[in-house]
Amino acid sequence: MENSTKEEYKIQSFDLETQKLLKTALKDPGSVDLEKVSNVIVDQSLKDQIFSREAGRICYTIIQAEAKQTNGNVFRRNLLNRLQQEFKAREETRKRSTQEWVCLVSFICNIFDYLKVNNIPMMALVHPVYDCLFRLAQSDALQNEEEVDCLVLQLHRIGDQLEKMNMQLMDELFNLLRDGFLLQEDLSSMGRLLLLEILEFRAGGWTLSETAQKYYYSEVTD
Amino acid sequence: SMSHDTGGTLARYENDCKPDENRNKGASRWSHCRKRGADGSLRKSHAVEEPVKCSQSSRRPKSFTTPESEGPVSRVKNWGDEVEAEEMRSNVQRDMHRYRRRILEADFPQRDRKISSGSSDSRDSRDSKESSVKGDIETDEATLIRRQKQINYGKNTLAYDGYIKEVPKHMRQPGVHPKTPNKFKKYSRRSWDQQIKLWRVKLHAWDPPAEEGSDVQQIEVIDLGEIMDFELDVECSVDTESKCPTSSGVSLSLAEDSFTGTPKKVMKIEDTEMS
Repeated sequence: MENSTKEEYKIQSFDLETQKLLKTALKDPGSVDLEKVSNVIVDQSLKDQIFSREAGRICYTIIQAEAKQTNGNVFRRNLLNRLQQEFKAREETRKRSTQEWVCLVSFICNIFDYLKVNNIPMMALVHPVYDCLFRLAQSDALQNEEEVDCLVLQLHRIGDQLEKMNMQLMDELFNLLRDGFLLQEDLSSMGRLLLLEILEFRAGGWTLSETAQKYYYSEVTD
Repeated sequence: SMSHDTGGTLARYENDCKPDENRNKGASRWSHCRKRGADGSLRKSHAVEEPVKCSQSSRRPKSFTTPESEGPVSRVKNWGDEVEAEEMRSNVQRDMHRYRRRILEADFPQRDRKISSGSSDSRDSRDSKESSVKGDIETDEATLIRRQKQINYGKNTLAYDGYIKEVPKHMRQPGVHPKTPNKFKKYSRRSWDQQIKLWRVKLHAWDPPAEEGSDVQQIEVIDLGEIMDFELDVECSVDTESKCPTSSGVSLSLAEDSFTGTPKKVMKIEDTEMS
């Protein structure tokens, strides 16, 4: 049970005391300081790339647990407001550390993916997510493989949902990506590959054809 | 939401996306955009959507109206509040669909039809023309949300918790046990607010320490400030004199503040009012 929780929620990177706090939050949310828990989670997701991509899950579970136990949503409210602060400060974060910036984007997108309201994505997050992706599609970001990688990862995971929420913005975003791919000279070849793949991915209805799959993901044997 | 602080970022987007030489070449989409000009003066004014479509692709409108919002959405909201509001709206819509289905099912109960066609479908199209819904139901979202908030206040009490633990739904007797007002029924504002008050008064019988205390005691202990927490049309002044309710029905004749009056009379009212 112990290890499976760790694995399920990817909390191995937390120190033991914090892991304990999180596990308690999952089982008995009323007994812990949920504001602290939300801060702990956000802090870690800005540092830990793996966690940033998976943190949505533990957040979702804590929210459900709190709703069931006390009918409250202290955790969700604190989480979202803290996330909003980080979002507001994203440009400084990006200047300070690309790693933190991509972690932030991954985390926001993961939250968007997991925290739904009656099975509908949170509308409040749609524009912020798009803002992040548009930022990643700027020419200075496209130069940077780490940022391109983050961008395409998010589009793979939540692109179709985002498109449903706002088709127009997705079109605009892809115009930028197309332009970047075609016209931007300082892209690395990996960067270009990633862009081409995501262009095909969306064009195929958010899935890759079999041949494209082979092209991009098979081992090259010569 | 695209908060004001993206003003700086927008400016950067514009710079980055200003068609540089490469992008100018041949791309009709870009030249189309550039003809508009930053001042928009070269073209006739367009609908709000236009700038978003034609402008440099990353420029987004400074305000936006979503179908779900009542109008231009302020950009400086906090996400916690926004999501709670979304959830409230979504819950109310979901409740409404369920309620409609329940009403329809009540109108057209499943019957075994002994018709030669052998069809088991009891929904006769004639019936549905007669009454889409028996009487009107309240559908105004703002009203439903307000009412739901009032209900939530009442349910978020120890008294309510105690009540539902003690009296399961199937054991509830009309008139004796408090019944949550039905937010989908058409009522005037006054009538609805009265029902909520009465409901909450009744619930106080399940307040933790004085559980066996009579309702008489409970009523005197009520903090009207709490009940008046949410907006009420009519001003309420706490009047210690008891007012005699007329027999013409609670919702019309009962003054707002008559709760401070004689408990016995209030009990009587509750009996007649709660059907």
